[in-house]
Amino acid sequence: MSPAKKRLLRCILALFLIVSLNFIIPRSMPGDPLTNLLGEDAYLTEGSASELRSLMGLDLPLHEQYLAYWRSILSFDLGYSYHLHSSVSSLILSRMKWTLLLAVPSLSAGAIFGTILGGLAGWKRGCGMERVNTAFFLMIYCTPPYFLSLLALYLFSFRLGLFPLKGLYSTGSFLDIAHHLMLPILVMSLFSVSRNFMIMRGSVLVERRSLYAAYARAKGLYGNEILFRHCFKNALLPIITIIALDFGFIFSGALFIEIVFSMNGMGNLIYDSLLSRDYPVLQGSFLIVTIMVILANLLADLQYSRIDPRVRWQ
Amino acid sequence: MKHRLGRLMAGFILFMLILAIQGQCAGEVSGTVLKIGSPSVVKSASLLGDSSLGVFSHLSNPTLMKMAENGSIVGLTADRAEVSKDGMIWKFFIRDNFYWSDGEKLTPDDVMFTFNYLADKSPSAGWIKKTVENISVDGNAVVFKLNKPYSRLNLEFATYTILPRHIWEKIDKPLEYVNNGEVVGFGPYYISKIDTDAGVIYFKKNPYWKGSSPYFDSIEIHTFSNMDVLSMALEKGEVDAFYKYAGSYPYTSIQKLKDTGNFDFIEKDNIGLTFLAMNLKKEPMSDLEFRKALSYALNYSEILNLDALGYGQVPNAGFVPPSMMDFKETRKLQYNLSKARELLSEAGYKDSNGDGILDGKDGKAIKLTFLTRTDYQRPTELVIGYLKDLGINAEIKSVDSSTWIKQKDAYEYDMTITRSTPWGMLMHANWGTGYFDSTRTGEGVLHNVDDPAFLKLCDGILAATSQSELKEYAYQVQDYYAANLPGIALYWSRIVTPYNKVFTGWYSDPLYGIYNVDSFLEVRKA
Repeated sequence: MSPAKKRLLRCILALFLIVSLNFIIPRSMPGDPLTNLLGEDAYLTEGSASELRSLMGLDLPLHEQYLAYWRSILSFDLGYSYHLHSSVSSLILSRMKWTLLLAVPSLSAGAIFGTILGGLAGWKRGCGMERVNTAFFLMIYCTPPYFLSLLALYLFSFRLGLFPLKGLYSTGSFLDIAHHLMLPILVMSLFSVSRNFMIMRGSVLVERRSLYAAYARAKGLYGNEILFRHCFKNALLPIITIIALDFGFIFSGALFIEIVFSMNGMGNLIYDSLLSRDYPVLQGSFLIVTIMVILANLLADLQYSRIDPRVRWQ
Repeated sequence: MKHRLGRLMAGFILFMLILAIQGQCAGEVSGTVLKIGSPSVVKSASLLGDSSLGVFSHLSNPTLMKMAENGSIVGLTADRAEVSKDGMIWKFFIRDNFYWSDGEKLTPDDVMFTFNYLADKSPSAGWIKKTVENISVDGNAVVFKLNKPYSRLNLEFATYTILPRHIWEKIDKPLEYVNNGEVVGFGPYYISKIDTDAGVIYFKKNPYWKGSSPYFDSIEIHTFSNMDVLSMALEKGEVDAFYKYAGSYPYTSIQKLKDTGNFDFIEKDNIGLTFLAMNLKKEPMSDLEFRKALSYALNYSEILNLDALGYGQVPNAGFVPPSMMDFKETRKLQYNLSKARELLSEAGYKDSNGDGILDGKDGKAIKLTFLTRTDYQRPTELVIGYLKDLGINAEIKSVDSSTWIKQKDAYEYDMTITRSTPWGMLMHANWGTGYFDSTRTGEGVLHNVDDPAFLKLCDGILAATSQSELKEYAYQVQDYYAANLPGIALYWSRIVTPYNKVFTGWYSDPLYGIYNVDSFLEVRKA
């Protein structure tokens, strides 16, 4: 069997196992979707409770629920959320668009700026600007996301009034949405940049001591040329996996940012459904995240072999 | 590379500035708007399915009855209610001057439809089917014929919104019905749009409203997932007042608002309260003497000061707060550790091996499981400390809400701290009985009392046919709580609602606070 086929088979097996786990894990937690359905002071008669239980399919034996779960997945039906009164697929689609608007620019900015700035910092280790940059990004990297989001909101929205305090839009126009999303994107980008910066810096620090870098210098190449023509590509390898995973988990949202900025994204959706034991939403969201992570890993593998000939030869 | 990065950054900053200017222009709206900020996020535009939207919709679709400031139940959509002497027939006389926002007149038929419809299709209104034999219209009255007397019917009807028949009769599955657009209502305002992504519910003036005209053209409810951000929005003037059903503005943030000088506060005694609940099926909690000793071991003033910053008062053993109707003065709870120790010693709880830990009646050291949720972490730690002072070991088991409900229902705990909501205190046979009656189920319900005397009291209240009878039962229930301590109130809290001084005329009722029709008819710019 060719390596590509082996890899594909491994992915299919992983998908099967993870999708099964998506069914098992929510059900291993205490409670079920009915536990938290009506509010803390609502009274449910026994008749109404069993009626709802049967409507949700919770009265079926576990193996029948499992088979029904697979049947709906294979027919592309992710089920219905009685907590959010909507089909799971339309719920996920409506939240996904906001999550993508938040995460794609942030992670892209994080990947581009983090690698470039990190690369430069690693290459010019010890210079004043590098020290400032490293200290700044290290500080961001160590700051809890919730705190940083709140701090950014306090400074830029509350004190300076540059951005709105919450939500995804007011009027719904393109500029209005961009105005609402700008600050969360900035905060998320900062996190992404700082993490990628630290990894890339470390990676370039190792590469700059390599013989091929010394050889390039001996050939008479300038500093930045050596970095971007030779070292950058090699230093990029560890960061590819991380960026691929970032994009894999793109649909899991950014919970803290979504909470602070009162945004209806995937992070909030998954968190709420976890608290309310909303099985269909949990299963549907995890399925999407699973597929994305597996695809991203597959792409990272392929990218690796494209960049690194050693992997290709193996 | 450096130049490119610099240019990119400059372009980015310019773009941000354009957005900021544009955003500020977009924020200007025409007409007078009153903006309420709330942490109760509406998760779906389902009128009958989303509990937060259910409360907010009271402005567009008022309830049949309402609670007056003194806790009595008076008419809202109905002018008044009458009950037959045997308590089997209730008549609600519907006002003649209500019109739906689409121009149709509200009729008794709409009211009859609403309760038949809810009984049939809403799980939380399943009790109607069990209690009401028949609903009919008699002139301008809607008549409910019951299969057994139910004294709390008018109170129940202070919580259900009235629905237009001509719209809802076409909706077969109300729980699956989601409508982000206009919701036809007959209140002074109707919902014009529910935007869950923007986190705003928009209300417009009902053009067919015949009552006194409200002062604002529109109302907006802005929901926030984060309380700190909501506080910033209040301070910044982006919202004009705060509202949370069954909840106060965070006590820790009140001073900051006071310091601005821009806010006034409505302070009301809360009907709901925070209390210590015990699993009465297990030793030693099933021992009344143990519970009595425990009631002396808790430092109520300290809990009140640390958990509620003093916004409240030390409670009575009778559990029910003075803000409820027919409150009876019972023994004031007090902290007296030596008395607690004495009571335990008299009851046979001794430290036989001198390790500082008391032994239960089975001779083994007492070790309790204290089930708690993150919202109650602070009072839990305090109570654990008091138990330790008493010589009782307790282990904290911190869980999320769903796990708490499951374990509480399975009686897999010894003690827990929880709260009652205003409606929770009023549900079932009133005066908090709904939390203790073992025949009840529900998310917040403890169902830990199966004492026939208590159950008989509950049945008596439900079947009472006169106010004087109800009052007598209310006193008996409070005496029962004081004598048997199925739950120990930790403090009676106050609900603090801040609003911008620019606006006056707020009115708060004990059930829904400032979120009531009267309030929105009276609020105006000073």
